[in-house]
Amino acid sequence: MTNSEDRAQRSGSPTRRHIAKFALAAMATTSLISTSVYAQAVDLSKWSPEYVKSIAGTKDFDAAKDCGAVVPNDYAGNVSYWYTGPFEADPQIAHDQDKAFWDAFHAAYPNIKTDVQSITYNELLDKFRTALLGNSAPMVIRLQILGGVEFAAKGYLNPVKPEDYGFTAADFWPGALKSVTYDNTLYGLPTNNETMAFIWNAKVFADAGLDPEAAPKTWDDVVAYSKQIHDKLGISGYGLVAKQNAGNTPFRFMPQLWAYGGGSLDEATANPTYKSVEINNAGSKAALQAAYQMYAVDKSVPVSALTNTQAENQAPFIAGQLGMMIAHPAEYAKMLDLASKATGADKATADAVVANMRYGLMPTGPDGKRAVVFGGSNIHVVKPEFVDGGKVDEQAVKALICMWDSPEWSTRLAWVGSNPGNINGFLTSSMKQRLDTIKFLDVTTSMLPNGIPFPVLPESPEIMNIVIPDMLQNALTGNMTVDQATEDAAKKIETIIGGGGGGI
Amino acid sequence: MSSVQGQAIFRDVPGPAPKQASLGQRMYTSRFDYLYIAPALLVMLIVIAYPVYYTIELSFYKTPASLSLADKTFTGIDNYRTVLTSAIFWKVTWQTIIWTVLSTLFSFLLGLGAALALHRAFIGRALLRGLLLIPWVVSAVAASYVWKWLYHSDFGAIGALLNQIGLTKGPVNFIDNSTTSLYALIVVNVWKEFSFAMIMLMAGLQTVPESLLRAAQVDGASAWQRFWHVTLPQLQGVSTVTILLLVVQNFNSFIIPFIMTGGGPVGSTQIWITHIYELAFLRQNWGVGAAYAVLLFLIMMVLGYFYVRALTRGDDKRAGA
Repeated sequence: MTNSEDRAQRSGSPTRRHIAKFALAAMATTSLISTSVYAQAVDLSKWSPEYVKSIAGTKDFDAAKDCGAVVPNDYAGNVSYWYTGPFEADPQIAHDQDKAFWDAFHAAYPNIKTDVQSITYNELLDKFRTALLGNSAPMVIRLQILGGVEFAAKGYLNPVKPEDYGFTAADFWPGALKSVTYDNTLYGLPTNNETMAFIWNAKVFADAGLDPEAAPKTWDDVVAYSKQIHDKLGISGYGLVAKQNAGNTPFRFMPQLWAYGGGSLDEATANPTYKSVEINNAGSKAALQAAYQMYAVDKSVPVSALTNTQAENQAPFIAGQLGMMIAHPAEYAKMLDLASKATGADKATADAVVANMRYGLMPTGPDGKRAVVFGGSNIHVVKPEFVDGGKVDEQAVKALICMWDSPEWSTRLAWVGSNPGNINGFLTSSMKQRLDTIKFLDVTTSMLPNGIPFPVLPESPEIMNIVIPDMLQNALTGNMTVDQATEDAAKKIETIIGGGGGGI
Repeated sequence: MSSVQGQAIFRDVPGPAPKQASLGQRMYTSRFDYLYIAPALLVMLIVIAYPVYYTIELSFYKTPASLSLADKTFTGIDNYRTVLTSAIFWKVTWQTIIWTVLSTLFSFLLGLGAALALHRAFIGRALLRGLLLIPWVVSAVAASYVWKWLYHSDFGAIGALLNQIGLTKGPVNFIDNSTTSLYALIVVNVWKEFSFAMIMLMAGLQTVPESLLRAAQVDGASAWQRFWHVTLPQLQGVSTVTILLLVVQNFNSFIIPFIMTGGGPVGSTQIWITHIYELAFLRQNWGVGAAYAVLLFLIMMVLGYFYVRALTRGDDKRAGA
């Protein structure tokens, strides 16, 4: 492992100026251990769309200067980094912000060489797994929110302390930190966080005799609205998603399940232990029953729900053939994009749908519980023995993470579809600019306090992507009753967390 | 064949049998041959032999998601037992057999029909041949997405067409129905690969001696009799190879089922290869996935043996002639 001090000592015997410089750097570093370079100025207890708007643009940050206090700006070293950056399909602004970051990083740290790979979301995990087996991983990697737990459990990641990078725990959402804590150890820092919200077509609502400006308040309302839309207009009411082997499915179904008081394990509780199976409790059964009611009894959701992911719901929605669905913050931009590509009569329809698109908070369960999947990404440091070359340049790594997770860049790098992992990012002028230009961002952002991370277990992908969709399909197709499907899922989850694997 | 043996064959007067060269001597004689194939052999060892070895090794270990592969625990044949005693495995096996047999059968028959139709010269033959090749050259991923929308249970073009001509009322559920989904996917697979059979059989038809067909015609054989008694037996070799290749391809066909249905609804389109992928890469159950993959590998080896036999049929005879 190398650091700036090692390099300086090797370059020759220390002069008095060197010693003074090191003393100052040491003092600065020591002070940072106990305090963040960013004073906490966000009050999470006041969180609402209005509060989000009121604090945006109230404070400026200088990432290069702030990070210079963590790692001197003249530090010479190198860092390798893998992440999912913007690709062809992403809007230009995402590319611009990505380029601007790397320009800013190289300007702030001209002597740090970067070896950066942008890898697609679908390839990143497999490529990282392979690289770890061959000890050729990068020093730093950014993974989707629960992508890191598998690697933390297997001992590939270095534990981290926010203070080492110029932050404190208060700079991040508690839920986000929970999602990156395994076995009571923090093994990464949140870079961006987002929660979904609910969108509906106001014209469809009006035509079906519903209040066009009000989202369904509860999930029971969703079931009733969906039926009303289908019965009156002959189109699908709610965009149910239930594809097998698809991560998309739990993202849409778990909010409903949690709202009814269910869970896969106890992830929806304040202090989850991930030891008790809740998939067969009354709340989970009620949520599954509601989905069954819409699919099999009322037939008010797309028949194609069994093979649909959210992407397949976008076309019917923009065509005015779907009343409402759970949506990502970027869904509005996607709809604008789809509308811009429509031609002829389709164009008029698509434009009308965009004009009639409304965003609202997620519906609640019968007891008023509102829930949504806490999404986003975390940045991790890989242990030296698994890194290409066997060394991690600790100082360069710190510089990169400090810059990436600074209030300004944490906001700008999440421009299109997410929110800053660093809460102070909500104070920046970039956040204000986003709120001014991205419609409904205040609504999707205000769902953040309701965010629940999936269980922080290495087995979580199997539970969420396999067991939950299987349970849904078993019930929706009538292959099993709701009770049987939840009991079957419970058995599978028990086996999985018991270390027996999920069978085949 | 070594030069020593070559001399023995062409010697006019039988003499004392030549002394058999030792293995070392023969290897030394062929040292340059080994040198020439060394790079290819090295590449094969790295990209084929090692992964095969590692998969076999993994299949004897338990690999929980919370442990790195370096910490895997030896469990003997437990993974094989888990696979072979699972009801899901046998359900998936049956689906794999249906998928493979029907895909191969219909691809071959359609390909044969197309090859016979295109064997005769007619105006536009080249154009038609090019058109029929399109499914084969189109990316399987793109084709899967297109077919997914054609089949779409709410807005599918096929359902709309059937509706319009009065054959059905309302949208038709092809792939969101666990009883029809596998067959709907087989149609896509057949569409995708019949062109391959067509090309192979068209090449085979070029080798049917024209003289035999003319002789049969002179003897008064009908078109069907000429096809059945002359053309088809002449196509036996290429047909065997084509069928074997189709079987191998279908057994390993991943893209269409995975993209179109993800193995659903309720596992009705799950076949071996998608199931192995799910176990290994989505559930991180490497050990069981590896055991499953070894079973698939063994079947592929058997098919490979027959394929090589079909390809080399008659080689010994020709070498001896």
